[in-house]
Amino acid sequence: MNENDSCIVNLERTILKNGPEFLSHKLVIKGDLAYLKPTISAMSFCMIYIVVGVFLFGLAVSLLRMPDRYDLAVFLGGFGIAIGTFGIALIQPFLRRSRFDKTTNCFDNHKDHNVTLEHIVSLQINNKVIQSKHGLSYGCFELNLLTQHGRRINILNHGDEQQLLHDAELLGIFLDVEVKDYRREIIL
Amino acid sequence: MNKIRETMLGLMLAFSTSAFAEEAGSFKESVASFSSFVDGFFSDYTGWFVSLIFKSVPVGEANFPLIVGWLLFAAFIFTLYFGFVQFRQAGLAINIVKGKYTDPNAKEDGEVSHFQALTTALSGTVGLGNIAGVGAALAIGGPGATFWMILCGLLGMASKFCECTLGVKYRTVLPSGAVSGGPMYYLSQGLKEKGLGGLGKILAVGFALMCILAALGAGNMFQANQAHAMLSYAFNVPSEFGVITGVVLAALVFSVIVGGMPSIASVTEKIVPWMAALYIGMALIVIIANIGQVGAAFSAIFEGAFTGAGVAGGFIGALIQGLKRATFSNEAGVGSAAIAHSAVKTKEPITEGLVSLLEPFVDTVVICTMTALVITIAGLNVGPYDGSGLTGVTLTAASFTATAGIFKYLLALAVVLFAFSTMISWSYYGLKSWTYLFGESKGSELAFKILFCIFVVIGATIQFSAVIDFSDAALFAMSIFNIIGLYFLMPVVKKELHSFIARVKSGEIKAYKK
Repeated sequence: MNENDSCIVNLERTILKNGPEFLSHKLVIKGDLAYLKPTISAMSFCMIYIVVGVFLFGLAVSLLRMPDRYDLAVFLGGFGIAIGTFGIALIQPFLRRSRFDKTTNCFDNHKDHNVTLEHIVSLQINNKVIQSKHGLSYGCFELNLLTQHGRRINILNHGDEQQLLHDAELLGIFLDVEVKDYRREIIL
Repeated sequence: MNKIRETMLGLMLAFSTSAFAEEAGSFKESVASFSSFVDGFFSDYTGWFVSLIFKSVPVGEANFPLIVGWLLFAAFIFTLYFGFVQFRQAGLAINIVKGKYTDPNAKEDGEVSHFQALTTALSGTVGLGNIAGVGAALAIGGPGATFWMILCGLLGMASKFCECTLGVKYRTVLPSGAVSGGPMYYLSQGLKEKGLGGLGKILAVGFALMCILAALGAGNMFQANQAHAMLSYAFNVPSEFGVITGVVLAALVFSVIVGGMPSIASVTEKIVPWMAALYIGMALIVIIANIGQVGAAFSAIFEGAFTGAGVAGGFIGALIQGLKRATFSNEAGVGSAAIAHSAVKTKEPITEGLVSLLEPFVDTVVICTMTALVITIAGLNVGPYDGSGLTGVTLTAASFTATAGIFKYLLALAVVLFAFSTMISWSYYGLKSWTYLFGESKGSELAFKILFCIFVVIGATIQFSAVIDFSDAALFAMSIFNIIGLYFLMPVVKKELHSFIARVKSGEIKAYKK
């Protein structure tokens, strides 16, 4: 791309399509480190799948002792593995904490390339309405960062507006960058 | 790790030792006693309600429930009033689904593609109504019930068109930003516009109350019960272990409706269309494998429809069962579909009405007929049709298994997933009605969600007859309030339809694909 070419980034667009209704993470600042801590409720809901999966798998294992129950054992075992694996996949992002570390001077979310903290030019708040045909629609909010190269990376994505605004303010002070509010009225 | 190992060993021991076998007897007694208590409770306290909703008049040798006539008459009136919209505008409906009138360059954020809309709609139509409902209809109404189901499906397309259009037209955005729509809103707001605000309010409240009851009954207990019945049939699981099925289903439902975890709901949304495809595929295999008997099966369906041989009440008995189960399956005129369709992103309410009218066709005319053919071909459902033999999901499962033994396992998988997705959908309908009556508040919503999960466990655990009657009654009662409103509001729908067709013809609404 030519140096004079400009790249237009629509800052009103949300990065992620979906998001949870509940508070999934809170920002914790300790000295030169700011990280996102998953809430107990978010972890609990993921654990439901793991517990159900392990329970069904345990039942399947116990049924293997009865030769006339192999079909049920396979059925329950299959369901148990599927549900348990789903739970593990769901909980993994919660266990990998995104962090802003002033000592290493980088932001690491274990997903995107690390970002040097000086390259972060602003934080942005976006809103969206999550709609589903078979579930209540609800408001959800994103806290995203913008780098000087035009990259946008999601930091927070949940439905607790007040907590997100609070965390955005704290993170803005921590990084010494402006927090821009791109919330808008959404007409469905 | 040691603790986990100990727990697992304990669990395995609990399910395999002889001590457990001894305990199983008392457990079975406890479950039987609990079932009896719940069934007795429903019988004592809701028997009058069931009798009222299913009030019958003698017609020939049968007692004809007025509510069935109410639904059939309404579907007939809507068909006439909208000029046979389900036949004359079917092409337009298919073109809307295909995206002919959608600008491909103007896709909004979060908007689903028409293919997604179609798969969602189709997967939403296939459920236990097509599997267990048809089994129940044929067990009591004989093969002839199928004919009346098809008729009800064809006429019901007009009812669904009317209610889903109104659901979008009168939807509202709540203070939380959530979109809410459905009969509660079009009854209260639509009738208010016509100067009948008082009547509209009464109908809306009545509908919301019945919807909550139906959500707990037909949309919850019936689903959980039939899911465990299917497991019992396929794997010979004792009925008293329904409590385990119930707890597992309730935990998963809890995580979706209380946790608001979009992930499992979206996973289910992705799996269910495949389950629907699997079910249709199995039915096609049975039909093709027995192609020589299809002619005879259709003969039995048509003869049974008008002779009612072996059916209590003759052909009227077959008609009643066909109409009842078709309504249970496609929900046309009941009002529940209007709640689901109101969340769609569209500027034209009529387009959603037109798309929705395809659902009863796919659900009842195509898929229920396929199930009925499978049952009739298998020949396990023989007269007299009094429901004393195989019935409901077990009749359907046994009929599939007659062609290939593996089908019972695949059917068990499909039934559990259908039951789960239907419970999620109905929790949504129930919650919409709940928030309409009690307002949006975290505490009130949580109360309903927890109540819903408790009913999942109860539904899977108990062996009932009064509860199933109550589930049916609550679902049908929704139609009383809904259809009164539809009669008043059908001119609004007609105006929207004529306006849309005129704009399509004039080119104001542009066609993008040929």
